[in-house]
Amino acid sequence: MNNITIVVAEASYLIQKGLDAVLKKLGDNQVVQKVDKAEGLIESLNTLKPNILILNPDLFDFNIELLRKECDKLEACKLVIISNDDDAKLKYSADAFLHYNDEQTKILSCLEALKDELITKDKNGKSEEPISAREKNILKHIALGLTNKEIADKLFISIHTVVTHRKNITQKLGIKSVSGLTVYAILNNLIAMDEVK
Amino acid sequence: MADVIQMNYMLIPVIYRFGINLGFGDKTVKEICTETKVDLNFFLQLVNTYHDKDYFPKEELQSIPSKDIVTYLKMTHSSYLNEKLPEIEVLIEELQHAETEDEKYILLIRNFYEGYKNELTEHIMHEEEVVFPYVLTVEEICKIGVVSDKNREIYESFSILRYQDAHDDVEEKLMDLKTIMIKYLTPPLNTNLYHKIIQLLFMLEQDLSYHARIEDKVLLPKMIAMEKMITEMN
Repeated sequence: MNNITIVVAEASYLIQKGLDAVLKKLGDNQVVQKVDKAEGLIESLNTLKPNILILNPDLFDFNIELLRKECDKLEACKLVIISNDDDAKLKYSADAFLHYNDEQTKILSCLEALKDELITKDKNGKSEEPISAREKNILKHIALGLTNKEIADKLFISIHTVVTHRKNITQKLGIKSVSGLTVYAILNNLIAMDEVK
Repeated sequence: MADVIQMNYMLIPVIYRFGINLGFGDKTVKEICTETKVDLNFFLQLVNTYHDKDYFPKEELQSIPSKDIVTYLKMTHSSYLNEKLPEIEVLIEELQHAETEDEKYILLIRNFYEGYKNELTEHIMHEEEVVFPYVLTVEEICKIGVVSDKNREIYESFSILRYQDAHDDVEEKLMDLKTIMIKYLTPPLNTNLYHKIIQLLFMLEQDLSYHARIEDKVLLPKMIAMEKMITEMN
């Protein structure tokens, strides 16, 4: 992950601009959107899929938990609360907290830490060996044209497990369609060309 | 007009589909549109949608007749079917002839491409035979304000909502083909040709996504509005 994307949700124009300036010092990041009201924030989270959301809870007093859930749903999205409320940490659950009075170094080190977390998480997601032996086996059956149900019956596992494996295979290889997976399977000698119908 | 093309060369095939040829000197967009009898409003809307992916046509621009949009989309379709797709196919075939040892793998690519091509063709046929006639019917109904028996049959046979997510599958395959060629296949001896094919695939993908954007951002909202009008009429 080279580029960290950030959404800033803060009503005060000055604070927004100030954050912007501080964030520029972080390097490798991009403020993709600035929002100054609650409307439309969840929609933009879903479309922009930022890595970090810096949010002033005053904007959202009524449904900050809802927002928290949205963040959890998005892969690798950290929630940072920014406010001038000294008790913010007690009131809200978030990955990090910034206070209006924080010094630049403190803000930067807080965000650096989040960034490192994001990067390690990203690396863990991609292993060296593209797919595991188990996944190879599943892939082989997909390539042979079996449905999820058929694969589940044959390997004595639940359909749910097959679906999860499929999702992981697709994610690791970057190939979505069955015919694409079939080509991959042949290229890697999982199945022979004449086995395919 | 020259500035427009300098800004985004992907628009060359687009203006060509309008019947506008290169070599226009310093003529403005407006002059050329008047000359070639192209609706200026439609042209601008189209070019903007192509060029800027966040561009969303304002309501007054929604006034363009669906007929013109459909005519344009049909031209795009025929350029895919008659030019772009066969062009890539010929290159893949060429690659296949040039190779001896990797022939098996090239055959895989060729079959995969073949499958993709058929799927895209089918998708286009569906649009031309089902979606477009539907669009024209809905527009006619809105215009005359009554639903004739003939139109009712077509109107009730389809709804634009069913059309919305039809694009994804076809895109997926093209993406997979690129991924396989980039990540998993050892390039054959004729790398030049191989690279050219990949580049063409990228361009095709881009062009298709522009094309889909017209359908999704211009035609679709228009249809939803008109469907609503008809429902209220009844």
